[in-house]
Amino acid sequence: MRANRREFTLGALTAIAAASGWSVAAKAADNKTIAVLFDGLYSEFWVAGLQIIRDDLKKRGFGIQEAISDKDDNKQFEQVRAAIAKKVDGIIIVQTDSNAVIPAIKAANKAKIPMVHFNRPPAKTDAFSVAIQADNQKIAREAVLYSCGVAKDSGKKHKAAILIGNLGDPNAIQRRDGFDEAVKQFPDNVEVVARIPTEWDADKAFAGLTNALQANPDISFVFTSSDFLLPQIIQSLKAANKWAPVGDEKHVILTGFDGFPSAYELMKDKYMDACGVQNLFFETTLAMQAILDLQAGKPVEKLLLDPGFAITQANIEAKKDEMWGYTLWKQKNG
Amino acid sequence: MKSGNRLALLGLQNAPLILFVVVLLTFGLMSDRFLAIANFRNIVIQAAPIGILAIGMTFVLLTAQIDLSIGATMYLTASVLALAFTGLPWPVALLLVTVLAAVVGAINGLIVTVLGVASFITTLSTLFVLRGVAMWMSETRTLPFPDRITDLNRAGVLGIPSAILAFAAIFALAWVVLHQTAFGRQIYAVGEDAEAARKAGIPAKRITFACFVICALCAGVGGFVTVTQIGAVGPKYGDQVEFAAVAAAVLGGVSLFGGRGSVAGTVFGAILIKTVQNGLNIVNADPYIYPLVTGSIIFLAVAVDGLRTRILDTLNRRTIRPLQAN
Repeated sequence: MRANRREFTLGALTAIAAASGWSVAAKAADNKTIAVLFDGLYSEFWVAGLQIIRDDLKKRGFGIQEAISDKDDNKQFEQVRAAIAKKVDGIIIVQTDSNAVIPAIKAANKAKIPMVHFNRPPAKTDAFSVAIQADNQKIAREAVLYSCGVAKDSGKKHKAAILIGNLGDPNAIQRRDGFDEAVKQFPDNVEVVARIPTEWDADKAFAGLTNALQANPDISFVFTSSDFLLPQIIQSLKAANKWAPVGDEKHVILTGFDGFPSAYELMKDKYMDACGVQNLFFETTLAMQAILDLQAGKPVEKLLLDPGFAITQANIEAKKDEMWGYTLWKQKNG
Repeated sequence: MKSGNRLALLGLQNAPLILFVVVLLTFGLMSDRFLAIANFRNIVIQAAPIGILAIGMTFVLLTAQIDLSIGATMYLTASVLALAFTGLPWPVALLLVTVLAAVVGAINGLIVTVLGVASFITTLSTLFVLRGVAMWMSETRTLPFPDRITDLNRAGVLGIPSAILAFAAIFALAWVVLHQTAFGRQIYAVGEDAEAARKAGIPAKRITFACFVICALCAGVGGFVTVTQIGAVGPKYGDQVEFAAVAAAVLGGVSLFGGRGSVAGTVFGAILIKTVQNGLNIVNADPYIYPLVTGSIIFLAVAVDGLRTRILDTLNRRTIRPLQAN
């Protein structure tokens, strides 16, 4: 039963990718193998990302060599060396540390094996690799701009809290910057009174938001840098008697980021106003195309951006099919 | 002893308390909301999970051992709770979770006492194994808990929140066990000098084994309290929480070398850590300052503790004067 469900998920994700118009060139792979090296499967985003990559590779006829490093940079370097020793045809990598991955890039360069960083770019280096990254700043800005518009329409000035991710994670910083760019455009409608560093830790997020609500009981605007913190936000808002849907006087304008299934559910139930969505399907296609182009000797930019999009209460019906979280939610709920 | 020395010693002996007062005054001056009763209630609620874990860790540290697997135990028990026990009445679910945690503690205790493997290595290994099992079981997905579990966070008795009640109950039980029973005295004896304790007829291995079970039990209960607060567990749940538990215990005066400390101090340490985090949130401090402030306070407390121990040792050292020739 479980295997069937997984197969259904993979099929559904692929169908969405194909239906969305991103070309999935079914090129004959001639027994080529791609190493897919993740640092961990720490949220549904990464689980879904790995599934989509697996399915894409399978569809193209590539073999796949998977490894998880559990956030151990040395272990991941060994995994890269093992992949090089096996003469793989490309490496898709999600590293933990943007600097620690540089020796791995250099090793891949020396072996003339193309390396693509999935969703997380490396630090600046003279070694060559291609990074696929969501345009975090733009996506966050678009989502928060919608919510700022909602704040403006309410005719009130809202006090805002932002849950910031790990300060050492470029994605978290770009999302924070996108938030800041948006709220700066609405100085009369949104005032940021709490900046909560979560270190991507659920416990710190819960405590931080609870404390912020203690200091500012009138907070009515919350942005989370990742949807995986939504359960803690719900708990904090419930404890503060502020958990209410759009239209209710107690409603807190809530904006998420990532596009998790839980985010879709909250959008559907009108508890969340907007969510910045990373387009996992597009990012996978970009990664595969980059490897194919590099193998063919074509020039490829070092950074390829996924523009992503903001899903809002205004466009949810039109955009939900592009949201990976909706695909997973639909698979689970029928 | 000179009166100046006595004053300095008094200050060093109460250094964590002085630090706590300084923290309270500093944040209190920066925000009037910080010193509100409701905020102290908040702090104790937030300190409850880490405090319960740290109480368990205190038992293990007192025997001069360490348990690095408590975060993984939390993750495993919480995952089992989410996957299998949420349909049960919560007291039954809690009981099953603590039994599972006790089994983990017994495995750690057996490896350490029977096979003689260092606790650092044993529990580091079980950390990876338990986390791996939990990730496999949950398929690394975030596991949500139903309202019947998360509503416990907002429940209480006579206006006292459930988390504070659980924290107080565990503290009282641990205090009685450590300070009012022969078993408690034996724990201190084993931590002070295991070989001497064994020669005195104390079953040192059995005591150490029991402390690992108690520590894991606390991890199970602490994990349960945490899930009522955060509402879901993901793959990072409980990650590195063992370091916070050790920090709380050490801040409260528990020695990493065994035989010294108390659960009252540990509770104080947990509350101090959460007070600092709460204060930074309340005054909306720059996010980059958090690790600097928290780390500095822990470092200061531990440094003062080291200084105090050294001075006390010096003062208590017996000096034998050489015979003076007439």
